[in-house]
Amino acid sequence: MNSLSEFFNTDWEAMTRADWTGLIIVLALSALMIGLYVWIFRPANRDKFEQYRDFVNDEDKDMNREVGHGQTR
Amino acid sequence: MVGNAPEHPNYNMAIVKAFAVCAVVYFVVGALVGDLIAWQLSFPSLNVNEYLSFGRLRPLHTNAVIFAFGGCTLMATAFYVVQRTCAVPLWSNKMAWFTFIGWNLIIVSAVISFPMGWTSGKEYAELEWPIDIAIAVVWLSYMFNFIMTIANRKVSHIYVANWFFLGMMIMITYLHVVNSLAIPVTMTKSYSLFSGVHDAMIQWWWGHNAVGFFLTAGFLGIMYYFIPKQADLPIFSYRLSVLHFWALMFGYVWLGAHHLQYTALPDWAGSLGAAVSIAMIIPSWGGAVNGLMTLSGAWHKLRDDYVLRFLVVSLAFYAMSTFEGPVMSLKTVNALSHYTDWTIGHVHSGALGWVVMVSVGAIYHLLTRLWKTEIYSVGLVNTHFWIHTIGTVIYICAMWVSGIMQGLMWRATDDYGNLAYTFAESVVAMHPYYVLRSVGGLLVLIGAGIMLYNVVMTIRTAGQPNAAAARA
Repeated sequence: MNSLSEFFNTDWEAMTRADWTGLIIVLALSALMIGLYVWIFRPANRDKFEQYRDFVNDEDKDMNREVGHGQTR
Repeated sequence: MVGNAPEHPNYNMAIVKAFAVCAVVYFVVGALVGDLIAWQLSFPSLNVNEYLSFGRLRPLHTNAVIFAFGGCTLMATAFYVVQRTCAVPLWSNKMAWFTFIGWNLIIVSAVISFPMGWTSGKEYAELEWPIDIAIAVVWLSYMFNFIMTIANRKVSHIYVANWFFLGMMIMITYLHVVNSLAIPVTMTKSYSLFSGVHDAMIQWWWGHNAVGFFLTAGFLGIMYYFIPKQADLPIFSYRLSVLHFWALMFGYVWLGAHHLQYTALPDWAGSLGAAVSIAMIIPSWGGAVNGLMTLSGAWHKLRDDYVLRFLVVSLAFYAMSTFEGPVMSLKTVNALSHYTDWTIGHVHSGALGWVVMVSVGAIYHLLTRLWKTEIYSVGLVNTHFWIHTIGTVIYICAMWVSGIMQGLMWRATDDYGNLAYTFAESVVAMHPYYVLRSVGGLLVLIGAGIMLYNVVMTIRTAGQPNAAAARA
C-alpha cells in the first residue's frame, strides 16, 4: 500500500453517527457549491448576469432600460 | 464631477452623513484604546487601576472598532447604497434616526459598562443582557428599514452590494440572538444558557461569523458599490460577484469550529471547519480578483485617485488574510499558531488592512459627494494612506514573528522530553515585538487623527466661497 492510499484509507466500520453527519454535510455543501459554479458559469447565463456590470455608474439609464423592457414598475 | 451628480430630492442623506461622521470619531477612539492596551502589554505598569486595566479595556477596544466604527460605517454605506441603487428614499426616516440614536446609546453603554467590569465574558459579545436586547431591537430596525426600502425599489434588479448587506443583516441577527441567550442574575450579570463545549462551539460559531458576516460580507457590499463607482468603470465580472455572494453565505457559517482544534469538540467538527475554510479560498480570491480586475486597463487612476488607492490596497489585504485564515485552520498549522500572537497578527491584517482601508476609502468618497465639496487636503489623505499602511505592516510583521516564536518556544523539548523553556521565558522573548506592535498601532492612531482633522475641516469649509473657487 503506497502512502497516498494509506492516507485516504478509511475504516468505514468505525464511523460513528457523528462522523457520518460530518461527512454528509461536507458532501452536501460540495454538491451545492458545484451546482452554483455550473449555474454561474454556464455560457447561456452569461448575459443574464453581465448586463448589470455597470449598474452603479448608470443608475438612471438602467432604470429607463428596465422601464422600456417592462421590467420596472 | 465631484458634487455635481444629480441627487434624488427625497434621498435621506442626513442619516448617511451622521453615521459617516460617527464612524470617523469612533475610529479614533477605537485606535486610541487599542494602542493604549498595546502599550499596557509592553509595559504592565501602565495598568494604573482596575477601571483602566488591560482586561477591562480590551473588550472596549474590540467593541469600539468592530461595532462602533465598523457598525456606523456599515449603516452609513448601506443606507446610501440602497437608496441610490433602488432609486427610492429610505422607507422610514424616523426608523433610520431611531437606529442612529439607539446604536450610539449602545456604544455609550459599552463605554460605561466595560471599565466597570460588567461583562458576559464571551469574546466580541461581552455586553450584558439588557444591552444585548437593545442591540437586537436596534439591529432589527436597521434591517427592517433596509428590506422595506428594497421592497419599494423602482428598479427590478437588486444590485449585488445590497445582497451582501442583507446577507450580513440576516446572519448577524440570528448569530447575535442565539449566542446571547443567557440566564440573568442581576442587571449587570448573566450566565450563558449553554455550558461546556456547547458554549464554546456557540461562542465561536458567533465569533468567526462576526468576522465572516459583519466584517466581511458587509464590507464586500461596500467594495462592490464603491470600487466601480469611484473608478467609473463596470465591475470586472458580475457573475463572479454572484458566485462570491452565494459561496460566502453557504460556506462561512461552518468555519467556527476551526477555532476549537485540539479541544473537547468532536474531531470531525474541527475537520469540517478546516475543510470548508480551505474551500472558501476560491470565492474569496474570486471576489478580490473581481475588485482588482475592475481597474484592468485603468491602473493609472491609482496615481491620482486617493480614494481608489485605499480601496485597492484593502483588496490586497483581503486576499492575503482570506488565504492566511484557512491555512491557520489546518490542524498541522493550528498546532503551532493557536493561542499565539500569530492569530492577533492575522486578525489585524484583516481589520487594519481590509476593513479599515475599504471603510476609509468609502468615507472619503462619501465626504466629497454628500457635502458637495472638494476634500480639504489631498496631501493629508496621502499622508494618512502611507502612515496607515506602514503602521499596519509593522503591526502584522511584529505579531507574525512574535507568534511563530511563541509557538516554537512552547513546544520545544530537550532530549528527555522536558519543556525547553518556561512560559515566563517566552513572555520575555515577546517584549521587543510587543513594543514594535505598539509603535505600529501608534502610526494607525496618528493616521486616524489626521483623517478626523481632514474630515472636520472639509465639512467646515464646505459651501464657503473659497471651497467653491477650488471646485471651479
